[in-house]
Amino acid sequence: MDTRTTGPLLELNKAVPSFEESGLPPVPFSMKLMPGDCMVVESRSSSRATMFADLCCGLVPLDDGAVKFMGLDWAALHDREINALRGRIGRITRRPSWPEFLNTHLAITLQQLHHTTRPLDEIVAEAARLSEAFGLPGLPVLRPSLLSDFDLLRAGCVRAFLGHPRLLLLEDPLEASPVELQNPFLSAITEARDKGAGVIWLVRNNAIWQGYRQGITSMWRLADDGLVEIRTA
Amino acid sequence: MSGSNAQPNQPEPTEEQDPLLEAEAASHSQYPQKFVLHEWVREKLAWLGRLTRRQIRFFLIMLGSCWGVIFESFRAHSWRRTVRYEFAATMRSVIGGGLIATMFAGTLTGVAAVSQTIYWLGLAGMAKMTGTILIDVVIREIAPILVGILLLGRNGMLSVTELGLLTTGGEIRSMQAQGLDPFLLLVMPRTLAFTVGGFTLGILFSFAALVTGYVISRMSGVVTNPVWTFLYDVITAMSHADYLIIPLKFITVGFVVGLGGCLTGLTATGEDNLRTLLPRGFSRGMLIVMAVSVLFSLDL
Repeated sequence: MDTRTTGPLLELNKAVPSFEESGLPPVPFSMKLMPGDCMVVESRSSSRATMFADLCCGLVPLDDGAVKFMGLDWAALHDREINALRGRIGRITRRPSWPEFLNTHLAITLQQLHHTTRPLDEIVAEAARLSEAFGLPGLPVLRPSLLSDFDLLRAGCVRAFLGHPRLLLLEDPLEASPVELQNPFLSAITEARDKGAGVIWLVRNNAIWQGYRQGITSMWRLADDGLVEIRTA
Repeated sequence: MSGSNAQPNQPEPTEEQDPLLEAEAASHSQYPQKFVLHEWVREKLAWLGRLTRRQIRFFLIMLGSCWGVIFESFRAHSWRRTVRYEFAATMRSVIGGGLIATMFAGTLTGVAAVSQTIYWLGLAGMAKMTGTILIDVVIREIAPILVGILLLGRNGMLSVTELGLLTTGGEIRSMQAQGLDPFLLLVMPRTLAFTVGGFTLGILFSFAALVTGYVISRMSGVVTNPVWTFLYDVITAMSHADYLIIPLKFITVGFVVGLGGCLTGLTATGEDNLRTLLPRGFSRGMLIVMAVSVLFSLDL
């Protein structure tokens, strides 16, 4: 599997998602995300935002068109290659994502432990550093059900930014979150972009991302007529 | 016969009837669809296929997954550290957690079945057949079923519940979004841990049943031989096939109970909840255990 290191990181080329599988409007979606870009996608519906993130991950079957990540078409890959590619995506999702049979520290590091051969100590050290940066006292080791919603949100940020992902799909963690999360979150985005990651930040309203206005490279709206680019002043 | 020219079979159109629809209906009745044999056969075959697939869907999934687990388990690349962790955790739960219950069940079987067998065979003057009867009845037939039921009740149902709730809750899809294949990460290691657990617990169960049966018989004075002689009699009563079939039966029971539990959980739909999942998981598990037992008893 040869990934492309130049050109668009993520490319939606007239991709028509299956309405039955996703609930997304069955219209062509087209956009390109370059390494280091930060794209804001506004969507009033959180479930639609989740499905759009699924579309970018290759989880939604297409009726037409193609979705390419790092130059590879999701539809043309085998399961192992698909999973390996998804291992390079960091994601904050509103869908339940904390399996109860794993303690939180394992759930946070699971993706890195599974997809990489990095030493355990190195992963744990990075996770602990990120945990402290996002306002946790350390890497949480309790069961996810024993953590508060805010702490789970912080843990979700740690999981998404762990291991230098190439693509970040962030379903807005700043909405209804403590104010002190904003700075570490924006710093983490900046740091990831500096290392070449592309960011898709899914928001429900404009007020959320205004603090990062200078860093936004493009602004889109996810509506009934598909993905529409909005000109920013 | 009436001499009028009126056609009684054609009703006169009324104002409520749509002339266009009437005409279309008439044209259909005048020109019936041409009967094509191969189309008819294809439709019937498709119907039969749909019916068969619906009825034996889970069985087909089981068959495919059996091959998947075996195939993946021989690939070194499948054994990543997360998979090894899940394998070890499940094995601890199956063997460590089920050890006391299995030994207790084995002891009860020894009291109820083994000592009674020794007693009645001795009374009937057929003490030489003790080893053969114990091997054929207790070790080959009772032990795999009881161990299978214990595995199902303790850990199989846990897998059904855990994976069922993960599937209906959306966590499984979140795992897929992270590139974590649930089959590789959950189904394969758990099934193999159940397999090892089935064998281990089966052997321990058999040992506990035999020793307890001997102790009870010795205490009641039915047997005067030392324990080594008793165990030697049992071992010499085993045929060559028994050395293969008995471990294979324990292994297969563990394998299918583990796989069935995982797949029942993973195939849960949005309409499922614990009320539907648990009875389904239990009845499937029992059927699987009984089917394996019967399968190995056929002409063997």
